[in-house]
Amino acid sequence: MMDEVDRELLRLTQDGIGLEERPFLHAARRLRISEEEVVARLRRLRQTGVVRRFGTRINPRKAELVANAMVVWSVPSDRIAGIGAVMAESPDVTHCYERRTIPGHWEYNLYTVLHCRDREDAHRRVAALSRATGAVDYRVLFSTEEFKRRPSGRIEPAKEPERLQ
Amino acid sequence: MQLDPRDRVLLQQVQDNFPLDPRPYRVLGEVLGMPEREVMGRLTGLSRRGVIKHIAPILEPGSVGIRASTLVAMRVPEERIHEVAAIVNEYDSVSHNYRRDDDYNLWFTIAAADEEELLGILEEIMRRSMIPPGDILNLPMVRRFKLDVRFRFLAEDDDDGRG
Repeated sequence: MMDEVDRELLRLTQDGIGLEERPFLHAARRLRISEEEVVARLRRLRQTGVVRRFGTRINPRKAELVANAMVVWSVPSDRIAGIGAVMAESPDVTHCYERRTIPGHWEYNLYTVLHCRDREDAHRRVAALSRATGAVDYRVLFSTEEFKRRPSGRIEPAKEPERLQ
Repeated sequence: MQLDPRDRVLLQQVQDNFPLDPRPYRVLGEVLGMPEREVMGRLTGLSRRGVIKHIAPILEPGSVGIRASTLVAMRVPEERIHEVAAIVNEYDSVSHNYRRDDDYNLWFTIAAADEEELLGILEEIMRRSMIPPGDILNLPMVRRFKLDVRFRFLAEDDDDGRG
């Protein structure tokens, strides 16, 4: 799905392209291919799903979305697919996962994350999700400090990065 | 942080539909009716203010060999939270790490090639942090319904008064 040029291209761009008229020129020169080919390769990687999305990574806290709410829900296992699908449809929800439980100790099996303007806004949106799905057993956990946040899929630096120079 | 209306339009567009073109900022400008210079100037401003981290490809974890992931919750004594968070942050496999206002106050994700590697990292974090197993929840992912970290910059007001 990916050749070595693709891997190097992703490595060169995953930390950000420049804010200049021709932001793909740098990668093109390093890879000794044309800008058109850089763009064509990125388009293909996006089409095949290697690249989930190409665009801005935004810091929600700086974009007026200061409340990060992780909601843990305990829903009946035979209804989780339906409830998960409804929650995933909501534009308020950025992440929605089913996770393993720890029986007798931690029964929450569905996890959603919402980025909201404030806690009141978050509670209002969570209550709407609860009403829409009938899921009533939940806890809202707000983040109070961000220690790390970055994409989980990364191509690690080549062992000898200088070989391209 | 107040965003002006033209910033909002631009943010929505670059988040949802960044043009893959040799001159992407010119294409954006054509779509939005802004000169290329204004597009670059506004994005530079948003970047300086920290609203935008960068413009980049976001990779699908599975396509780069990540087959196992988990969410870990820890009950950490308040006075040790920064120390333990720093240990957790040392691992490249940890992508997110937050303090949350709950009895379980430290929440982080680990993504690895397989379950074995993942458990190895978790065990090392447990050993180094000296948080007892009874104060840790390991919550592996079973199924992903959605992962789409995009935000709405427009029509926010339409939501007011709803719900």
